[in-house]
Amino acid sequence: MNGMLSMGRNGRPLRIAVPKGSLFPDSVRLLQEVGLDVGALPDPGRLLTISAGGVEYIIGKPTDIPIYVAYGAVDVAIAGKDTLVEADMEVVEMVDLGFGACRFVVAEPEEAAATVLEHYRDLGVIRVATKYPRITERYFAEQGVQAEIVKLHGNIEIAPLIGIADRVVDITATGTTLRDNHLRIVDDVLESTARFVANPVSLKTRAAEVTELANRLAEVSVQ
Amino acid sequence: MRPVTPRGFRDVLPYEAAEREVLSAAMSQAISAWGYGPVETPVVEEYTTLEAGMGSSLEGTAFRLFDSDGRLLALRPEMTVPIARLVATRLVQEPGAQRLRYAAQVYREHASLRGQARQFTQVGVELVGTGGPAADAEVVAVLVSALRAAGLADFKVAIGTVAVLRALLTASQMPDPWQCKVLDAAHQRNLVEIDRLTAGDDLPPELARAISGVPRLRGDAAIDDCRALADACGCADVLEGFDETLDLIAAAGVAEFVSVDFGVVRSFDYYTGMVLEVDAPGLGVAVGGGGRYDGVLKALGSDAPAAGFAIGLERLRIALSEQDVNVTVPALDAVLGGDDAAEILRSAARLRAAGWCTRLDTVADGAGLVSEAARLGATEALVARDGEIVRLDRAGEPAGVLAYPLPAPTAREGGEVR
Repeated sequence: MNGMLSMGRNGRPLRIAVPKGSLFPDSVRLLQEVGLDVGALPDPGRLLTISAGGVEYIIGKPTDIPIYVAYGAVDVAIAGKDTLVEADMEVVEMVDLGFGACRFVVAEPEEAAATVLEHYRDLGVIRVATKYPRITERYFAEQGVQAEIVKLHGNIEIAPLIGIADRVVDITATGTTLRDNHLRIVDDVLESTARFVANPVSLKTRAAEVTELANRLAEVSVQ
Repeated sequence: MRPVTPRGFRDVLPYEAAEREVLSAAMSQAISAWGYGPVETPVVEEYTTLEAGMGSSLEGTAFRLFDSDGRLLALRPEMTVPIARLVATRLVQEPGAQRLRYAAQVYREHASLRGQARQFTQVGVELVGTGGPAADAEVVAVLVSALRAAGLADFKVAIGTVAVLRALLTASQMPDPWQCKVLDAAHQRNLVEIDRLTAGDDLPPELARAISGVPRLRGDAAIDDCRALADACGCADVLEGFDETLDLIAAAGVAEFVSVDFGVVRSFDYYTGMVLEVDAPGLGVAVGGGGRYDGVLKALGSDAPAAGFAIGLERLRIALSEQDVNVTVPALDAVLGGDDAAEILRSAARLRAAGWCTRLDTVADGAGLVSEAARLGATEALVARDGEIVRLDRAGEPAGVLAYPLPAPTAREGGEVR
């Protein structure tokens, strides 16, 4: 028994996790550019694992990828800086890949600036809606502002409009969605780009493969 | 109600507990052979003691509680600081170095739903009162002995030193907050952030190269590359001791298990020199770690150099199973039944005296006793009857009497293998 595990030890191909969603196309392109055989990866259909050219690709939800890496389910991965901060797991952040740039911002209703401050004075706390509770908590703690954080799973922009929160912390590439919902950016929280990350043990036990891949990715990713 | 254990805590049932005991004993024995004596410390420590020893890494790690006097206590998150406290307070008058070992439960706070235990078991040593390459090499050699005694064949002890990065930061003469940021980034294994921090114009290029390059060095050429980078910054001598440590590790005959890795980072930031980490292929997390922590005893009131390691017993078991290593636990020789409880007890005493590991069964008889023996992995089903001990065959029928003096237990192949 344990045949699969012992194969995993000696002959297992390098496992790379690739995030589905907005980072997916650029991730695939970059892996191609460094000369990896990506097989069916550009058009995976319903497949979640793809083997090609001695590499195994695992397609995962972006927020789960840091967990895959930290637990050693994959050796390396491409992951957004935002998901790395939010997950707060032990991974080695090796290369800034430059693409997938987005900002985390604090926003509030355009007409509400005075109201928010008044609330804060009266209640001693502002209520913030976000999909990213850890990033938000850290930001407000650094600012010395007391905040109650409400975790929502989507449509963050709507939170101030329906009275769930005074402000929101959300991700934006252009700011259009925020503007359309009459939200005004108050502050920047974090700039995020895609990163190449490695499991700390894989970095040692498969040092040559992982380091070479990191170096090649660093070369082709335009900073 | 159906009670549950608190999140991150679990029970250990007999099968697993027996294996853990065997592994722990094997490692303790191997460490004892180096003359390390066992110590035990309280499960709780004063929070201030731990804080003095561990600094900021205690925050977010400690499992805290108040006692009825209102004192802030913490469950020990590791054994290094409690043992340093023990040495600094109880053994400070003793001459010479202290060589201490432990096998103990430690406790760490974790956010929920991350699959992390809040209690785990560490087997390790602390070598206090002697420093330098000889002590570092001894710690590594003892670590290798312990892992091999546990049956782990395929592993690497990655060793590096935090002294290089610290020397480079000092040489940079950059402001303290910047140096702290670089150390933090190194600690979080964030090479991208180190590159960003060193990219500024105010840092001489050779220092930028060295600070961002050193945490990336590993493997056979690492030490020469590191020397070249440090040389360029006037920090060549920082590697002197490390070279000697490697030579001594070779002299101890364990060089094949050791590799150089300047990227090794430990979760606690009290390390001042050598740092080490044990990796086993197939396991995504380190099996153990340790290093030199010369400042900890001073912080606790008794200045002395110190180094040690800890092996995580739970992770070791996973690594062993990934490597198809079976742990042999003591097997049961016999299940002993009969009609008369007093007679069972008398016969059992005789069997134990003859070396039989015997489990009593005052309920089952005949075929029931045989199937109970099979279920428990016992070699024999026996019945105490009329002053004799009768063997049962597979059908539960009498199949002869054990002659006096009782024979040694029926041969089994090195115990039960699971």
